[in-house]
Amino acid sequence: MLSRVAESLFWMSRYFERAENTARFLDVNFNLLLDLNKITHVENPSYWIALILVTSDRERFNSLYEEYSAHTVTDYLVFNKSNPNSITSCVSLARENARSIIESISSEMWEQVNNLYHYLQSVTPQFVHTDPYGFYKEIKNASHLFQGITDNTFSHNEGWDFIQIAKYLERTDNIARLIDVKYHMLLSEAQNQAEIVEGSEDIIQWMAVLKSCSALEAFRKVYLSKIDPDNILRFLILDRTFPRSINFSVCAAEDALWRISGSSRHRYVNNADRLIGKLEAELSYTAIEDIYAKGLHHYLEDLEQRLVKVGEQVHLTYFAYHTPEIEPVDIEEALPFTGVAGGRAYWSQAQQHQQQQQQ
Amino acid sequence: MSRFFERYEPETRHFFDEVIATEGAPRPHYDKMLQRFAQFSIDDIKARREIVNIFFRNQGITFTVYGEDEGVERLFPFDLIPRVVPAHEWLTIEKGLIQRITALNEFLNDIYHGQKILKDKIIPAELILGSQHFRREFVGINPPLGIYIHVTGSDIIRDRQGHYLVLEDNLRTPSGVSYMLQNRQAMKRAFPVLFDKYKIRPIENYPQELLRTLQEIGPVSRREPNVVVLTPGIYNSAYFEHSFLARQMGVELTEGKDLVVNNNKVYTRTTRGLELVDVIYRRVDDAYLDPLVFRPDSKLGVAGLVNAYRKGNVTLANAIGCGVADDKVIYSFVPKIIKYYLGEDPILENVPTWLASNHDDLKYILANLDSLVVKAANESGGYGMLIGPESTIEEQEKFAEMIVANPRNYIAQPTISLSRHPSFFNDTELWGCHIDLRPYVLYGKTVTIVPGGLTRVALKRGSLVVNSSQGGGSKDTWVVDE
Repeated sequence: MLSRVAESLFWMSRYFERAENTARFLDVNFNLLLDLNKITHVENPSYWIALILVTSDRERFNSLYEEYSAHTVTDYLVFNKSNPNSITSCVSLARENARSIIESISSEMWEQVNNLYHYLQSVTPQFVHTDPYGFYKEIKNASHLFQGITDNTFSHNEGWDFIQIAKYLERTDNIARLIDVKYHMLLSEAQNQAEIVEGSEDIIQWMAVLKSCSALEAFRKVYLSKIDPDNILRFLILDRTFPRSINFSVCAAEDALWRISGSSRHRYVNNADRLIGKLEAELSYTAIEDIYAKGLHHYLEDLEQRLVKVGEQVHLTYFAYHTPEIEPVDIEEALPFTGVAGGRAYWSQAQQHQQQQQQ
Repeated sequence: MSRFFERYEPETRHFFDEVIATEGAPRPHYDKMLQRFAQFSIDDIKARREIVNIFFRNQGITFTVYGEDEGVERLFPFDLIPRVVPAHEWLTIEKGLIQRITALNEFLNDIYHGQKILKDKIIPAELILGSQHFRREFVGINPPLGIYIHVTGSDIIRDRQGHYLVLEDNLRTPSGVSYMLQNRQAMKRAFPVLFDKYKIRPIENYPQELLRTLQEIGPVSRREPNVVVLTPGIYNSAYFEHSFLARQMGVELTEGKDLVVNNNKVYTRTTRGLELVDVIYRRVDDAYLDPLVFRPDSKLGVAGLVNAYRKGNVTLANAIGCGVADDKVIYSFVPKIIKYYLGEDPILENVPTWLASNHDDLKYILANLDSLVVKAANESGGYGMLIGPESTIEEQEKFAEMIVANPRNYIAQPTISLSRHPSFFNDTELWGCHIDLRPYVLYGKTVTIVPGGLTRVALKRGSLVVNSSQGGGSKDTWVVDE
């Protein structure tokens, strides 16, 4: 398979997943604020600033807006074109990648990407503010539909594996960030208001996190007892069967990487396989106490860093023209791929519109 | 006659109408079509239009218009009434094109080797050696089988008397063949009954024929050649076609950045390492092919590609430097070229052409700007053109200045009133619209032409310009056995 085609499949999938997860971030926040309307109100900036912190975009946001509110944060995360991670930008980039490999994907996949793109072009901020639930549901469903279509119309060969790697790497990163929203909320609460979140609100916040991963019901089936933070973290980070848990997603990415390279347990053939295998092995032998010992926030940050490195190695191994290296290399120096824009991987494709048109 | 055709005005006194003969009766090969259309109501036509539109939209068949809102994607306008070419007329076109393309290939081979035709003073040497498309770097290079122009698409028109004339030879990267194929698919869906009434020669094998041609021209002594299509990328207006052809042939669609040259061999970059490439069907102009040899700022090409080509490690289709033979000035010499290399008279005539670089012709052109069509020698797509009878005095004066300043770059032709074909306007009434025909010629071990081509229609009333960039559309073209 051409490296460029593999790379475009990868980014198409990754941006689609990112759009879905951004919708989930916003959805959970709206729900949360409604649940908490006894003690706060929907415009409470400390709840909105958390979303910006978690997407590591504080500087860019501050250069564009005066305040943190439902309105500005929604605009930034849904519509803003200068924010490369806004839902609109993500879907445009997914579509652009899909368009460049339109002969390699199924026409049903293309139609679905294209439909969502056109849907977003027609949506107004007013619409989102009137019916946020409906809007975010639409985005999430579009993403599910795309995955279903991909599963059922696209050969499960190497290209499909690149789609899976991208989807699960992105998802892992986003779950980690979502869990971290809670940390940022507490932090900004403390900074701004020195207000102590009491027991019941704490649980409501954690339930919101679960809901945003569509995990509440699945969680209930495993942990019948009361909802407590330990169990929630156990479920979202360490559960091996729930498709929006970190451990599940890392395993799925690992499987796809191994299918491509032919690696297996204890035998890796490239650095991408080595790093993902190491991560998966550690997750498998981690207890919630280990995470607390390290500090939840630091644990998650470290995880995000390691995912970036896996992404960089996938790029080096399969997309960039190179001679393969098996031994660990110092990644910081080696790369054309930038990896880190506010801590998030992005597609670093230089465009050549001008000349292509002149032709 | 059908209700649509009853109200149709062929104006046969002024134009050659493809369907209605001068007497007011339809030509025999259109009989069955008129009978069928007689059964259609306006609603029937609208229903079929819908089928066709959905088909094109789902296939993503769009083209990009430049200059408005940075490239808007539009559906390519398609007319529902097919053009019928009877077998005996097609035979003339086919023979004529084979003759013409064979001679032009001989000409290129000569220009890039002994240049006999220049030494014999059939064509003034300065016209060739001074052409911006002449690539002196390729003199003496031997492409496999001695073929330069593997894929061509000549534009053919019919004059007032219905004679087929060649208007232009497109020897570089002619486009539109995907529309030819898709138009046929659309017609089969919308008019299955009508389709069944005619013995229409199939064109669906074009991609296979193209692949066969490309495989035949691979570098000698190689395994089954690895063929790729090279596209400028998704922002190119013909990108749909590039991707369509790659998909239909089952070969990789590559961009410049997918290819690397190592040790004068060309490879694709794949997830499993490098793979050797033998033949490149390139839809990138010469100037952008290799930044080391041509435009250094090109990001669409592949550094080192030209050297690999010169070494004979990879074949480019079409060869580099073909533009020298489809220049509009050289066009006027094609009848002489045919005579010189083949000793035959041309089967298909040229449109009479005056060269501004010729002193007497120049005087004639300047005196008759209001009735001639003036074209820049190296422009295509209907750009850089003056249509005398439709122009203003200011436009004529502007062109006169440009012609005098650079006579080598201009030619003039009489305003030919292209033949007309009834075409739907708003799906409710028929207008006579001017048409041309672009058949696609493949040159491998043999010369093949799939029976048909792209019939382009000037859908703006009265317009003579059929190019898609200028509001033209197309119709399906049926070569039928009587």
